Amino acid sequence: MIEILPAPWEVILGHARACYPRECCGILLGEVGADGGRRVTIAVACVNAYDGDQADRFELAPADQFEAQRLARREGLEVLGFFHSHPDCDAYFSATDLAHSWPWYSNLVVCVRQGEFDHARAFRANETQTESTPEELICPKS
Amino acid sequence: MPQILIPAPLRQYAAGQSSVEAPGATVAEVLTALTSKYPDLRKHLFNDQGALRSFVNVYVADEDIRYLQKEQTAVSANETLTIVPSIAGGAR
Repeated sequence: MIEILPAPWEVILGHARACYPRECCGILLGEVGADGGRRVTIAVACVNAYDGDQADRFELAPADQFEAQRLARREGLEVLGFFHSHPDCDAYFSATDLAHSWPWYSNLVVCVRQGEFDHARAFRANETQTESTPEELICPKS
Repeated sequence: MPQILIPAPLRQYAAGQSSVEAPGATVAEVLTALTSKYPDLRKHLFNDQGALRSFVNVYVADEDIRYLQKEQTAVSANETLTIVPSIAGGAR
C-alpha cells in the first residue's frame, strides 16, 4: 500500500498538468511503516531528461535523483519511488516502464486527458523486472 | 575508509544496511571490495563483462563519475560514494 498525502499529491498533479502533452516525472519521498505501508510526504517534480519525443517517454536525470536521496537523508525519509504521467493514455505500467524500473520502488502512473487529471495507479516491479504488480494506492479525491 | 550509500532496493543484499564502508583508492576498487564482502550485490551492480550496469550511476562526493574518470575515479578515505538507480520509462 502507498498513501500519498495532499501536499505531494498537488505537486504531482500540478506537474502532470504543466507538462501536458509531454510526460512529467518526479520522485516520491516518505516513510515505510512497521506494517510495510508507505506514506509519501514529499513529491519532487523533476525535469524530463529524455532526449527525444517526450509525449510518451521520460527519463529522470541522475543528478535529480542524487539530490532527492540527499534531501531524504536530511529529512529522515526514504526515496519510496517515482511518478510519471501518461498523457491521453491509461495509467498502466508499460513494457518500457518495466524495463527501466527497479524492484522495491513504488511507481505511480498518472493519466492526464486533455490536460486534466483522469486517474492514477501504482505498481511495483519484481526482482527480475519481468513482471509488475498493482500496488494499492490511497490518494486524495481530485 | 570510503563510505558507500546503498539505495533501498539493494539493502537486502548488504545485510539491510543503508551505508557500508569498504577500502579502495578508486571507485572500481571500492566497489570490488564492497561486492567481495556482499557477493549478492555483484549482479545488481555489474554486468557479465564486469562493467557497471547501465542502470547504475555512481557519485563520488557530489560528482557523477561519468563526468570524471568513470570507474577509475579516485576516492579518498573520507569520501562518500552514492549509488543512484537510473529510472526511465513511458507509455510507448
